[in-house]
Amino acid sequence: MVGANTFAGRRRNHMRLVCLALIGWWMLAAAARAERIEVNIPVLVPLTGFLSLEGTSQRNGALLALADPPKGIAVRFDVADTGVSPEVAVNALERALTGGQATAVVASMLGTQMLAMLPLARERRVPLLTVSGTAQITELGNPYVFRFFPGDEVTKAAHVRYAVEELGRRRPAIVYQTTAYGQSGRRHIVENLARRGISPVFEQGIDVQIRDMSTILSKVRATDPDVILLHLHSAPTALLVRQAAAMKLDVPIVAGSAMHQPPTAALLEPAELKNVCAEANASPVSGGSPELDRFLADYRATFGGDPDGFALAQYDAVRMALVAVEGGARGPDELAAALSRMTYDGLAMRYRSDGKGNMAHGAVIMCYDGADRVPRVVKRYESPVGVPAN
Amino acid sequence: MLVAQLLVNAIALGAAYALCALGFVLVLNATGAVNFAQGDMVTAGGLSSVAAASVLPMPAVVLMPVVMVAVGAIGAIAAAIAYLPLKNRPAVSVFISTIALGVILQNTMLAAAGPAPRAAPPLIATRLVQVYGVALPLQSLAVICVAVLVGGGLFVLLFQTRVGQKMRATAQDRAMAAALGIDVVRVIVLTFTLAAALGGAAGVLLSNTFFVTPFDGANYILKAYIAATIGGWGSIGGAALGALLIALFEVLFPALPLIAPSLARLPAAAEIFSQTSAAIALYIALLAILMLRPQGLFGETARRRA
Repeated sequence: MVGANTFAGRRRNHMRLVCLALIGWWMLAAAARAERIEVNIPVLVPLTGFLSLEGTSQRNGALLALADPPKGIAVRFDVADTGVSPEVAVNALERALTGGQATAVVASMLGTQMLAMLPLARERRVPLLTVSGTAQITELGNPYVFRFFPGDEVTKAAHVRYAVEELGRRRPAIVYQTTAYGQSGRRHIVENLARRGISPVFEQGIDVQIRDMSTILSKVRATDPDVILLHLHSAPTALLVRQAAAMKLDVPIVAGSAMHQPPTAALLEPAELKNVCAEANASPVSGGSPELDRFLADYRATFGGDPDGFALAQYDAVRMALVAVEGGARGPDELAAALSRMTYDGLAMRYRSDGKGNMAHGAVIMCYDGADRVPRVVKRYESPVGVPAN
Repeated sequence: MLVAQLLVNAIALGAAYALCALGFVLVLNATGAVNFAQGDMVTAGGLSSVAAASVLPMPAVVLMPVVMVAVGAIGAIAAAIAYLPLKNRPAVSVFISTIALGVILQNTMLAAAGPAPRAAPPLIATRLVQVYGVALPLQSLAVICVAVLVGGGLFVLLFQTRVGQKMRATAQDRAMAAALGIDVVRVIVLTFTLAAALGGAAGVLLSNTFFVTPFDGANYILKAYIAATIGGWGSIGGAALGALLIALFEVLFPALPLIAPSLARLPAAAEIFSQTSAAIALYIALLAILMLRPQGLFGETARRRA
């Protein structure tokens, strides 16, 4: 009888303990739920049209960062294609903001689309995280734009510094695209050369539809340059590099950031890439740190291809925003304020705002050795704009 | 030597443009409507060549028949969905439907192949060969030879066979051809197939040297349209020559100061003979032809432009 009472008492005690444990677990879970921060970061990038290659990189970088948020942060996002027209981008932004309060928006790298989206972002007070290179987007006094890819004033300063200071070249030929992208790059190259007292021996713009580069390369050769500076889109860059190799134009080429994109290099034989260098924000395929190697492995595993600097910059942008949220930024206004004042060590570089939303201030130069398609970073410029005139 | 190299490059480019323009004119003659998807057939040919080479790593000259059959099949489907249901509507309906078809093709190719530019295999190899002491790219020479063969084959088909006779009869007067017992629908589907196959062939020829992306079609259709206008709306030989003229203009006009050094001494020679000026000059020439000779350089009479 005593034994039975003792057994019943033990059972009651066990039941109490189980109930207490369940209550405790429920309270902890409720507390965790209460502390779990929900963020909504729509991804609005060009996935079709002439910028689809770069837009896809932008999307992939953002998705990789969104897939692995800091502990305690739940991420919600939709991906929308902005095509290449400004109105499609604005409509996509309007839709994204109508569906619920967005914490931030990953916004198109196409400058004309960014310019169209900026007023709406300001009106709705939502930060746009972009890798657009168009200078004007951060010159309009809009506190809701954050650019994580160095602008032409940074990259072209590095471009020219490498050609002049490292290669010692004084007779550059410039070939650029006649698009807004190309004209902007050309202007900064010429200005940087002029600051060093150098005039190009040849400069010409080419339309994106021009296929045959033999004419322009013949003209380049006729002016006897000691370096060719390119600022072209992906396919024209590869076309020019290939035809320069075919014509045995024995002059080093320092190309724009399109050259660093793995699909551009994939169009060329390694031997054709000998004597070719390029500027960019970073070269993810070159590796260099355990974190970058992990990013590279994750990217390849997820998307089955190699990342470029746009993907890495957008990854860094979203990570920085998530870190700001983790640090206490609640809602888009607080996030914009946090992004404006914080410093973040990303995989590509250290990011900090210059007060206008320009977050990236460094650039690298990478070169190909002619043996494979993976470039080697040969020079880092932390802040190449602050160069005194010679 | 420089002139010879530039000339070979220009003729190779023009030969590939010509195949695209020939396909454009075939459909124009057979249906009276502009096929705006013809440029996308060139892109489809280029990407099919890349895909075929990934399965069968062989020179493009071997893969070309397979690519032409594959893209030809797309042409037959194009006829079935973008032309036949609208054949009794005004020409503008077909005009719009082929634009829609082109957009569908572009985005299908984007989904299938991705946005990155691709390089198809060379026709034979990419090296320089010595011809009378001048180093010329083998790929350019091969492009010219293959384009001449394909163009010659088209000529034989059109002018030496019964099928060609039916195609020409349908192009001249559909109602009369039908009254004479020709299956006009079948002939039109065949024409779309042949036109697409020619576009596919052009894609194979262009996409090694000049790469290919899913959105290149707009550029090629513009060239084909201009070639047909310059050469003579509906003239097969005129379209081929028009395409050749465009390429010669694109390549040789900016190179004039190299060919004739005295031109380099002109004030603002760099601006006058730039690639941008070449495009401006080409379109001024086009406007002049439209005003002075509306039927085109080799056209017979002014025909209705869609």
